[in-house]
Amino acid sequence: MSQELTKELAQKLLGIKGEARGVAFKTDREYVLRKKGEEYLKKVEKELERLGYPIKYEEIKSMDFYPIGLRILSLLVIKEVLNLNDDAIKEMGLVATKSSLIIKILAKYFLSLQRVFSIESPKIWKKHYTIGEIEPVELNEEKKYAILRLKDFKVHKIMCSYLGGYFCGVAQLITKTSKIEFKETKCPFLGDEYHEFLLTWK
Amino acid sequence: MKANTHTIEEERKKIEYLLEDLTSLENYTKDLFNFFPIPICVVSSIGIILEANPSLEKITGYQIEELIGKGIEELFKIEDIDNLTKEIFEKELVKGKEVTLLTKEKKEIPVSVYARLRKTEQGEAIGYFLGFFDLTEIKKFQEQLQEKINELERLREKEIILRMEESAKSADIEKRVKEFEDTRKALMNILEDAEEARKKAEEERNQTLAIINNFVDGILVFDKNRKLSLINPQAENFFSVKGEDIIGRSISELGTFPTLKPLLNLVGEEIKGVFRKELSIKETLILEVTTIPMIREGERIGSLVILHDITREKMIERMKSEFVSIAAHQLRTPLSAIKWTLKMILDGDLGEVPKEQREFLEKTYQSNERIINLINDLLNVSRIEEGRYLYKPILTDFIPILDSLIDSYKEEIKKKNLKLKLKKPQKLPKVKVDVEKISLAIQNLLENAIRYNKESGEIEINLKEKGKEIEFSIRDTGIGIPKDQQNRVFTKFFRGYNAIKMETEGSGLGLFITKNIIEAHGGKIWFESEEGKGTTFYFTLPIVQKT
Repeated sequence: MSQELTKELAQKLLGIKGEARGVAFKTDREYVLRKKGEEYLKKVEKELERLGYPIKYEEIKSMDFYPIGLRILSLLVIKEVLNLNDDAIKEMGLVATKSSLIIKILAKYFLSLQRVFSIESPKIWKKHYTIGEIEPVELNEEKKYAILRLKDFKVHKIMCSYLGGYFCGVAQLITKTSKIEFKETKCPFLGDEYHEFLLTWK
Repeated sequence: MKANTHTIEEERKKIEYLLEDLTSLENYTKDLFNFFPIPICVVSSIGIILEANPSLEKITGYQIEELIGKGIEELFKIEDIDNLTKEIFEKELVKGKEVTLLTKEKKEIPVSVYARLRKTEQGEAIGYFLGFFDLTEIKKFQEQLQEKINELERLREKEIILRMEESAKSADIEKRVKEFEDTRKALMNILEDAEEARKKAEEERNQTLAIINNFVDGILVFDKNRKLSLINPQAENFFSVKGEDIIGRSISELGTFPTLKPLLNLVGEEIKGVFRKELSIKETLILEVTTIPMIREGERIGSLVILHDITREKMIERMKSEFVSIAAHQLRTPLSAIKWTLKMILDGDLGEVPKEQREFLEKTYQSNERIINLINDLLNVSRIEEGRYLYKPILTDFIPILDSLIDSYKEEIKKKNLKLKLKKPQKLPKVKVDVEKISLAIQNLLENAIRYNKESGEIEINLKEKGKEIEFSIRDTGIGIPKDQQNRVFTKFFRGYNAIKMETEGSGLGLFITKNIIEAHGGKIWFESEEGKGTTFYFTLPIVQKT
């Protein structure tokens, strides 16, 4: 059941404390352009304008910081304009890793799964968001799974799907697998203290 | 506080500049990366594609999202990528290595790879840049080029072959030229020989012409179309004509020349075969005409007419005949007187003749008879030759003449113990003959059959009607006529050598006279003979009236 996008909601979202890197808006833009083209991007921008938060994706600076509420609003508007389901949002997260400038910059450290999981993943998070924290819980390369926790990041439910996909995307860059899935085993919106993602691959 | 505020503002601005620069740099890098027309990717140290440009997207058929995160080995053949990776990490730089790119559709594309190892500031390898150049077109071009080269090679080979063939042809041509030269030389030699032969032939021709022109006999040459092609001066004299007036004319045209007419009447339009035929052109010119067909390679190419002037011979012959006639007449009168005187003595009209004398007288009588007979023969011949041997024909029955003659020779036949067979029809048409002359002819034949027959031999006489003629034949079983002498049988004074050997007496005039008698009656005479076995003489006489 989709949430109705209203100025009130937008305003409420913009009230969330914390910032996100502009690169997230850039990856959103890339997704819309590749999926639907320029026309839909304009529709998205127009909807954001309607909601009182006009964004020109072109002018977004990848390395600058923007309100995390605006980042959530961008996702919600794209979901609505492009009529996306949760799976598509996951895909958005996954694809975002492939066009993210930050990932490209950090990729030089993607020397092993273990390193990325243990060392780089918290850094990657910090490079993207000013709130929340990644905690690597378990990595089993033999059984091909990993467990990550995201703490202090209860912003909007849509981010659960998006981030799950995003984690899969990062994992894909170090596991040489095309089939990687995640399951959010714990979620603050379900009463848990943190998000916990189980990543599995073949 | 104000200073702090100023400082924060300055720092914020600096950050803003940095962010703008970063964004510009990001865009620049992105634009540059996307601009590259050659496929480029960034590969992590563990072989995962971290970045790919649209050109790679295009060449592989994968979308960029599909490419990023994909193991680089999925884009290449395993052996290629293993060697390539090893080489990149070892050499840090790889240029133009040819490998095969695998597309999403499993299509193989030849590419030339360029790779550079990426390192951290600390020198740690963190992956590599990989770019490759599509060799498809180049390969295709190379293949086409190779094909062209092959084609050129084939053409070159063909050209070489052609040149070799041409060379061979040239050699062949040279050979042929030499052959032609040899042939030319041979032809020149032949021509020289031919010229020599021509000169020789001309000389021979001139010689032949000189011979012909100076030949004592007259010569006329007719070509195959029976047109006169040559006449020698002697013939011109004979006929009082000039060669230039008559050469090239046909027989019929020549007939318009009065002097030539007798000759043309003799030889006819077809220039029939004539052998030593007498031709009286005028009183003072008698020619003996012989025609000879000229045959070359089985084809008649013309006729040669030889005219031998026998005027003088004929005159001498006539004079001889006249002499013989006069002498014979002069001799016959006293010999007749002697004959009758001896006859009277032997018959006892003048008294009895003692036996010893009788024998001598009888021998004398027989000798006288032989001389008379000889003189008669000579007279007959003389008359024949003088053309005075005119017969007195009467229409008569031939059989009684024959019977009478046979009857008169019965004693002689019996004496030699010959067996006579006579085959004759009951009746025969009458013939118009001079009985005396025809009797002489039969007599000559019968005498020869008796005289030259062997003892107890046979004589067979056959008389029959055959068409418009009666045919007489007389066969004996005598000595025969030698083959090499048969052509002279009807000539004057001829006697076969076997006849002379057997019978010393004989004038050799009998068959000459017989032949003239038969032919004077319009008949024909001939014979068949085999030496040692016998001879058969035949003659025919034309039937005038049938009974």
